[in-house]
Amino acid sequence: MNNAVSGPTPRDRAKPIISLRNVTKRFNAVHALTHVDLDVFPGEVVALVGDNGSGKSTLVKVLAGVYQPDEGYVAFDGEHVMINSPSTAQSIGIATVFQDLALSDNLTIVNNLFLGRELTTSGLLHEHEMEEQATSLFRKLKARMPSIRTPVAQLSGGQKQSVAIARTMLGNPKVILLDEPTSALSVSQSAEVLNLIESLRERGLGVVLVSHNLAEVRAVADRIVVLRLGKNIGTFHTADVSYEQLVALITGATDSLSGLQ
Amino acid sequence: MGGNASCDTSVSLADWGRSRHSGTAHVEHVFCVRTVKEPHDTRTKTAMSIRSALTFARVHSVNAKPPTPGSQSSLRESNRARIVEAIRQFGGLTQVELAGATGLSAASVSNIVKELTTLGVVQTAPSTRSGRRAQHVTLARTPGMVGGVQFGLRHMRVALADSAGTILADHQLPLGTDHRADAGLDRAALLIADMLETFDAESSELLSVAVALPAPVQRANGLISSPGILRGWDNVAVSEVMAERINKPVYVANSSNMGALGELRHGAAQGAQHTLYIQVGQRIGAGLIIGGELFWGANGSAGEFGHTTSDPDGQICRCGNRGCLETVAGGNVLLEALRVSHGVMTLKDMMRYAGDGDLGCMRAIADAGRAIGLAAANLCNVFNPERVVVGGDLAKTGAILLDPLRETIERFALPSTAESIHIVPGSLAGDAEIIGTIAYALERSDLLHGYSTQQRPSPLTHTPDPTEDQ
Repeated sequence: MNNAVSGPTPRDRAKPIISLRNVTKRFNAVHALTHVDLDVFPGEVVALVGDNGSGKSTLVKVLAGVYQPDEGYVAFDGEHVMINSPSTAQSIGIATVFQDLALSDNLTIVNNLFLGRELTTSGLLHEHEMEEQATSLFRKLKARMPSIRTPVAQLSGGQKQSVAIARTMLGNPKVILLDEPTSALSVSQSAEVLNLIESLRERGLGVVLVSHNLAEVRAVADRIVVLRLGKNIGTFHTADVSYEQLVALITGATDSLSGLQ
Repeated sequence: MGGNASCDTSVSLADWGRSRHSGTAHVEHVFCVRTVKEPHDTRTKTAMSIRSALTFARVHSVNAKPPTPGSQSSLRESNRARIVEAIRQFGGLTQVELAGATGLSAASVSNIVKELTTLGVVQTAPSTRSGRRAQHVTLARTPGMVGGVQFGLRHMRVALADSAGTILADHQLPLGTDHRADAGLDRAALLIADMLETFDAESSELLSVAVALPAPVQRANGLISSPGILRGWDNVAVSEVMAERINKPVYVANSSNMGALGELRHGAAQGAQHTLYIQVGQRIGAGLIIGGELFWGANGSAGEFGHTTSDPDGQICRCGNRGCLETVAGGNVLLEALRVSHGVMTLKDMMRYAGDGDLGCMRAIADAGRAIGLAAANLCNVFNPERVVVGGDLAKTGAILLDPLRETIERFALPSTAESIHIVPGSLAGDAEIIGTIAYALERSDLLHGYSTQQRPSPLTHTPDPTEDQ
């Protein structure tokens, strides 16, 4: 029996937030993505796994508006959209946390959260309101944070990651893209980030997680999308694939689960 | 108490409503700490604050006079409570961070910390933050710590407690299905080291660690006694592997038994002589309390309630038998049954939908309640418990699970047996297992045993006094 899920099982009457069909992206002669399909449903964590150069980051960048696909169809909430730039992505509700986080170390947590979109009243900064929003945000995300007036430089890696994720939450996104959120974090810090991903999921957001750490992927993901050499090898429910099968699919030892069984 | 007027600092405590320790302390004025808590962990906090309240009360006897509202002393008191709450939340903070976290001025933080230090509530240690000298403030603790590690099917939980049983730090980590023993134990060991560090504690302060596994465990050697139930953990000598990593004695037990121990010591089974604790979640387990003690059985695997036969023609279970209760009412089975109609869900999703009134999810849980009730009725006939405590994740659905369960026990147990049974939800909810694991680590800890025997030498063995020789 082949356990591969051709189209995702409808998750409790929900429609996908994002659907990608047949997305192809070429860099001159290099086919970075070839006819890739992807769906992200609300309240779901989708993990993208694959070897280096398999197209994970390209796919995330297509969703984030950094790259435009050469072919294919992207739908957001059932409607066809063109994601021309990162700001378009943000305005339609796709938020991205990149590997380098892009936080200003010298600024405090609140300043980082509202960097570039400070709340003002008659031209003056509305510090109090910003602090209140920041505090309630961290509370909602169940993130552990020292004072929100702490400079980001003093935070641990996990806390920085939490700040970066919280910052994307301010725009009320429907989908959050996380590129390697736990690489270079200690165990307790990645525990924090994984718990944060779970609470994003509980809040009904779609989460796209790019990670090399299969243990973590299997811990938090609902579905796993395996990419190899720019092609979508398969989409699987986490419960249906074992660690070994995933490795076989990623490395190319097999092309489908049925080959393993 | 009135004679204790010299003590002008009255530290009042949230949730302090027990009079058990009234011999040493009276706290009559209950003050509500005004920090907003997460709804999901209020229970944890309550359980913990009760425990820490015990520690507090032991440290100082408190003047009973409540301060006038709005007065300077009541303000002082609320500031003090804020600081203690902030330290508890973050484990340890520098004074500057404390000022930020509580919104108090640096000067008043410094004053209050000084006060609390002399009272023995907190302790300070010099440290550095971004190159500047700082005072790291942590809660004062009774020397000696124990660790508790609880593995579930999809998560791991690690907690540290001081030797008084107060839980100081608590971390959760999601795990994949069929996770590996080595990776899990590695992470647990790293987490324990991390957590010790946040308390500025030496690793020598750690006395022992208890590990709870969702599988039957042989008490003598800590091996899982029946293969296949916890894949990836078979034939792993957990206590040895873990002891090697952290260099401390490690005790392994079954997590349902630990849940029973937790409820017995600090929860809904307190005060009862004979209790059946049922844990309902992804798996189904039980712990038997007989004569006020946890019952282990011949090799420690007593209470494998999930593997009582429920349907002789049913599905094959992981344990190799056919039709175990778990293959009828285990969380995974319920989710599998709902997959056709509801798609792929997690246990949490199912519970949330059931709470929102989704008929399919409610039906699945209710049917599970009935199947568990039937098996429990048989068991109750055998040992006639006075209480049945239902814990585990699914117990959080409340009446959806409990009503059918209660009804079935009442219908199928002997009337005289059923009459005497009180069926109650566990009061520690999701924390019973970790609290029990901590309690187990403390009870097994060699040092405490050694200490108590040193204190009270047996009258039969006379220990020679070195001064006697002269």
